[in-house]
Amino acid sequence: MEITKEMIERTVTPLKKKDLGKKVITEAWEPKLEYAWDNGPALSRYLAELKNGRLIGKVCRKCGRIQLPPRLFCEQCWVPTDDWVYVKDTGTINTFCISHVDWAAGRLDIEGGERPFTPAVIEIDGASPGEGILHMIDGVDPDKIKIGMRVKAVWKPAEEREGSITDIEYFKPIRPPAKKKARKKAKKSRKKARK
Amino acid sequence: MALIERLQNTTDATHWRGKIPMNYVYTAGRAGEEFFKNLKRGRFIGARCRDCETVYFPPRIFCEQCFERIEGNWIKVPNRGVVHTFTVCHETYDEQPKDKPSIVAFILFEGTDGGLMHWIGDVDPEECYIGMPVTAVLKPAKQRKGGILDIKYFKPV
Repeated sequence: MEITKEMIERTVTPLKKKDLGKKVITEAWEPKLEYAWDNGPALSRYLAELKNGRLIGKVCRKCGRIQLPPRLFCEQCWVPTDDWVYVKDTGTINTFCISHVDWAAGRLDIEGGERPFTPAVIEIDGASPGEGILHMIDGVDPDKIKIGMRVKAVWKPAEEREGSITDIEYFKPIRPPAKKKARKKAKKSRKKARK
Repeated sequence: MALIERLQNTTDATHWRGKIPMNYVYTAGRAGEEFFKNLKRGRFIGARCRDCETVYFPPRIFCEQCFERIEGNWIKVPNRGVVHTFTVCHETYDEQPKDKPSIVAFILFEGTDGGLMHWIGDVDPEECYIGMPVTAVLKPAKQRKGGILDIKYFKPV
């Protein structure tokens, strides 16, 4: 059955934001959605280390994986995990997203100059491949972000850290040393060509 | 599987407090708008299907039995009903004890095939019964906003 324009006009009453409460009766409600989530022993340590400005993972001796974020058991081998090990605060972008809406699904004012949100999964150096954490990328134009890009954490000052993933403000790109070599090489060959 | 690690200090077990922000703004729909506009004036209206003679209360714009369009077939409904079912609440919805129990009921409205869910007041819970005739007590006209709480409660006739 085809939905005709006439059917829509007979059943839908389009409203503008300014009509709410004036042209039509409205009922507003804000449910109280508060929670206290138990972190568990492993994440409690992970968050405590974030406050210290460090990222910590856990080793599974059975499969050799360095797990990040740490858990009390290896979900691939089903055995308890073993040692705690500090990992670096640098990593590689595994995947990312350019979002034009904010965390509350509100539109960002891109035309007005607001930067789109760019969350990414970052594979942290020192953890096993594929062990990544979700965080924001900033300090770079969204269009320049690439999978495989090397990034480093920008930490909040120690007094502002509270034991949360937001103790890292965002990850920003770092120029990989290989590229530096390639640039030097290119500069050298250009100089040679001019002679 | 035995876990080989435990926290030595109970204060090392942390928890994360959060709040999920959610704001709702509801509109009543076309028939609902008509119902609440009338309620604000102290009147109850239903919608009647001319085909199958079902009287919807609160009113609707389509008959769910025969799919006939019934928007505009508003009829006046008297402020009289009977308690169809009720619950005596000794706790609030988040399980806090109440000082005085309250009664919430579904009131079948006379001359309609529907009704409203609301409080029953001016009666002890022991005196309340299924089939009890009731009538709505409205807020004073100036306090009515066009919402279900324009009715304070239903009291026995």
